[in-house]
Amino acid sequence: MGTVALNVSFALTQPWTVLFGPSGSGKTTVLRTIAGFVRPDFGRVVYGTDVLVNRGTGVFVPAHERPVRSAGQAARLFPHMSVRTNVLFGSGWYSKPDEGLELADQVLELFHLGGFAKRMPRDLSGGERQRVSIARTVVSAVTFGGPGTALLLLDEPFSGLDVAMRDELLAELRDWLRRWKTPVLSVTHDVGEAFQLGAEVIKIADGRVVQQGPAGEVLAMERRRLMEQLQAGGMSLEA
Amino acid sequence: MDFEALWLTLRLAGCTTAILLVAGLPLSWWIASGHGARRALVQAVVALPLVLPPTVLGYYLLVAMGPLTAPGRFLMRMFGHPLAFSFSGLLVGSALYSLPFAVQPLVAGFGAVDRGYVEAAEGLGSSPWRTFWSVVLPMSRASLLTSLVLAFTHTVGEFGVVLMLGGNIPGATRTLSISLYDLVQDGNYGAANRTALVLLGFAMVALLAIYLLPSLRKMDGRQADVVR
Repeated sequence: MGTVALNVSFALTQPWTVLFGPSGSGKTTVLRTIAGFVRPDFGRVVYGTDVLVNRGTGVFVPAHERPVRSAGQAARLFPHMSVRTNVLFGSGWYSKPDEGLELADQVLELFHLGGFAKRMPRDLSGGERQRVSIARTVVSAVTFGGPGTALLLLDEPFSGLDVAMRDELLAELRDWLRRWKTPVLSVTHDVGEAFQLGAEVIKIADGRVVQQGPAGEVLAMERRRLMEQLQAGGMSLEA
Repeated sequence: MDFEALWLTLRLAGCTTAILLVAGLPLSWWIASGHGARRALVQAVVALPLVLPPTVLGYYLLVAMGPLTAPGRFLMRMFGHPLAFSFSGLLVGSALYSLPFAVQPLVAGFGAVDRGYVEAAEGLGSSPWRTFWSVVLPMSRASLLTSLVLAFTHTVGEFGVVLMLGGNIPGATRTLSISLYDLVQDGNYGAANRTALVLLGFAMVALLAIYLLPSLRKMDGRQADVVR
């Protein structure tokens, strides 16, 4: 991977925050920087009182030691493990395996994967693998064994799903994570998704934060921008 | 058939393979998980026995194990006796000579595991150690088998290094390949043929083990499990 020019600064203040922007704007790079897979040349990443990155003082906490749990765009399910074993892989409940198992089965039901526990990844469709991948990360985040709660990072988590499944899952997952008090930062290029989540939206373009606010405000701005583009092109829409 | 030589050969190959498994796994993972001049140098040193005449390697090991060098004196203190012309000496020589046969398949196997799986594991809080044991190694099972089989059979077939380091001491350093050489020198072609067939059999079984276990290849990291 080459050099990516980013100049971003933001704070997470809501239960669910969405990084929104066009392809190539730097959303995934921001997520990977917070997760610990990208080492920035400058800047800081702080979560609560934990300094995860401080280039000024040379601090860089490795990904696996951060109070952060992340799922990338691609569903990298471990092919030699069943669905249930995959979902339990990141569980922090080592001392209570039965409860961990119960939670894993609950999460599989939440993702409409009840009955899939013993299947192998090679037997799943693309959408099913995507859901297992997110379920795995969710279990890891809510069972985080360190002090405080882990931040859940999701990169385009719903993009591989059909619209009906996505709509159903979105609401259920949001409410479930709220009960567990697990904050979420997700990436999407679909502002409608952010609106459905009732999330705070941070819009990134060309590696910079250009707007931050409730999804409704950002949606309104996007709509105005689109209208202006259309009018500049000699077209108009009835509002 | 020299059963004493057969047993010695199997002991030597088994112990050498065990040593190479313990030393080879972390070395191979270190080579496969990064880049740079240091790794290239280590890879070149590991690969040296592939291109060196076995007698050259045997000669230098003989000198290094002797009382005139610091490593030789250290090894003598550790083992309590000179290593040259002993089973322990053969073990050291065999481990070095078969090192590339153990390491290179592992490096290739570990390198073929998509980095995305390592990141997926680390993103779930898995330590590098756990990620290696629970994710990378199982996904490289075919390469691990190839590494073990090649290390074992290559040791079984050694001649030049064994002759230089071990001499030809019955029960101590006379392996099956040395025994075969002696039988031919003595004109005992019947026994030589039987011994050669045993060595050929080892090689064939080893190759069949590698090529007839395709189900393990399904667990290789080469098979992507990627949605997009």
